[in-house]
Amino acid sequence: MALSTTVSQKKLIKRKAPRGFLKRVFKQRKPHLRLETNSDLLVHLNCLLFVHRLAEEARTNACENKCGVIKKEHVLAAAKVILKKSRG
Amino acid sequence: MADSYSRDSEPTTRTLLRRVLDTADPRTPRRPRSARTDVQRALLQTPSSRRLRSQTKTTARRCSNRARSVDRLAHVQASGHLEEQTPRTLLKNILLTAPESSILMPESVVKPVLAPQVVQASRRESGRGSLELQLPELEPPTTLAPGLLALGRRKQRLRLSVFQQGVDLGLPPSQEPHGNADASSLTSSLNLTFATPLQTQSVKRPGLARRPPTRRAVDVGTLLQDLRDTSLALAPPDTVLEDTQPFSQPLVGRSASVHHSLPCRSHSGAKDVERAASRRTWSSGLGLQNNGAGKAAQLLAGKVEEVDALAMGFPNISSNISGEDGVEPLQNGVGEEAEERMEESLREVEKAAEAQGSARAEELEGHIEVTEAEGSWGAVEAKEPEGSSGDEDTSGRTASPELASSTPEFLRARRLQFLEPAPPPSTAVLPSEPPEPLLARLPPKPRIPGSRPRQDPYKTGLNHYAKLFSFYAKMPMEKKAVEMVEKCLDKYFQHLCDDLEVFAAHAGRKTVRPEDLELLMRRQGLVSDQVSLHVLVERHLPLEYRQQLIPCAFSGNTVFPAQ
Repeated sequence: MALSTTVSQKKLIKRKAPRGFLKRVFKQRKPHLRLETNSDLLVHLNCLLFVHRLAEEARTNACENKCGVIKKEHVLAAAKVILKKSRG
Repeated sequence: MADSYSRDSEPTTRTLLRRVLDTADPRTPRRPRSARTDVQRALLQTPSSRRLRSQTKTTARRCSNRARSVDRLAHVQASGHLEEQTPRTLLKNILLTAPESSILMPESVVKPVLAPQVVQASRRESGRGSLELQLPELEPPTTLAPGLLALGRRKQRLRLSVFQQGVDLGLPPSQEPHGNADASSLTSSLNLTFATPLQTQSVKRPGLARRPPTRRAVDVGTLLQDLRDTSLALAPPDTVLEDTQPFSQPLVGRSASVHHSLPCRSHSGAKDVERAASRRTWSSGLGLQNNGAGKAAQLLAGKVEEVDALAMGFPNISSNISGEDGVEPLQNGVGEEAEERMEESLREVEKAAEAQGSARAEELEGHIEVTEAEGSWGAVEAKEPEGSSGDEDTSGRTASPELASSTPEFLRARRLQFLEPAPPPSTAVLPSEPPEPLLARLPPKPRIPGSRPRQDPYKTGLNHYAKLFSFYAKMPMEKKAVEMVEKCLDKYFQHLCDDLEVFAAHAGRKTVRPEDLELLMRRQGLVSDQVSLHVLVERHLPLEYRQQLIPCAFSGNTVFPAQ
């Protein structure tokens, strides 16, 4: 794969939660509900775990296909599994 | 021998050798001498076994002869004792030993023989030439292939003088007698400085392609100089500079110095006196000021390209930099810092100009003119600030009363100077200035619209989690995959919000509480009996969030967050 189409692995990430974003998303979707204090942090945690699981699944998919780069198909296949798992 | 070789046009060695044998004397008169030398050589060279035998001279001769003959016999059989040392015998032996029908080999042998001799001949001819001819000759062989040496030499001669003459005459380059080239070597070396760009442009050879960039860079400078020279009608010093220009290394600095020396050169006498007077007062503070100028230059180094060039080429760096500094902040038009720097640099400009004037006054007049002009240039540049922003200058004056006494005279004098030769410098300064504002003002412009078109905040939030994905994946991923991840996240949030709504509705609430989220995570399989929500929080969230989520006892018998 050409380097221009790939995104290298992030070495540094922000540990900070985008709390405003999370609140806004929830308010946008469910305007009649409200989130209790610090619930957004738990939403963030849930999202974090979801992303973690998705990434692991995509990684294993890529490794099974002997691909050094995570491709769109790998993410798609992983998302099918993980979204089903993370149903409420 | 060599001449006979070179005269021969036929390629085979056999014919060559035969002709040599035919033309040469049957008996060379110096044969005995050569024998003696051979003996001496043998004395020097022979191994120890021979040395033992060669105790006396006579015996040495015989022995060495014998030894020689033995050696010969080893190589070539049937050679007489008398004929051993002569080159004739050598050639004959070669003829004997060489194969009769030599079609391919001899040609390959002959070529290297011929080429060096042509080279030698050309060297001999070029040796007659003066040093000026040889200096340029030293450079090109790097570009030439070693096999083409002989041809290359001739072409170099072409490049030096003949080609230029041909260009002048409007004739295609032709090989002229070498004597002519040698005769015109002096003039050609002088003319080289002017004509080299032409030659490089016309001679389109890949080997010579290294040269052009530098010379074109020179061309711009010379062009500007020529323009200014014509505008100012000041021939003598500039011509001197131009002569030395193509050979001098710091071309940019030179040209810059010349282009600084635009406005006024004729005014030197009265101001020199003034500066000499003022320098005594300022000499104490000069060192510090120069240092400050250097620091300011370091600060502005990113913006100023020309400063670097000047610093490379020029001995008196600080003054130039200070002059530049006076200009740059203004052009940038930055706020307060720029004003502060402005004041400082203005003072520095003035002081430096004064100091230069006084210092150079003691030296040669030619140097005076150049440095003078620089000082005046700085002053001219410093005047523009005054026109644009007078208050800053006034503040600078009030801040330093000493300056207030000296600067007005100085600047008034400058103004007078500026007014007197007003028409030519205005035309001359203008072409010099555009590059600087372009360089200085272009970078900020992209910065102003540099604030990216605000993305959808939802997108940025999703991108945040996509970055987390690429961190957890520990692998490089495609951009399409990133887009896919964002899509998944979008779907995930949709599900999440729906689930939370259902849970809250089931509990008869309109508020989503942490219990709902815990339930959700339990249903998702993230929280189990073994792994509690607090464990997950501790694992994945930073401390400040953990403190907000997990109840903890604090001093004063309190628990935060309260349960």
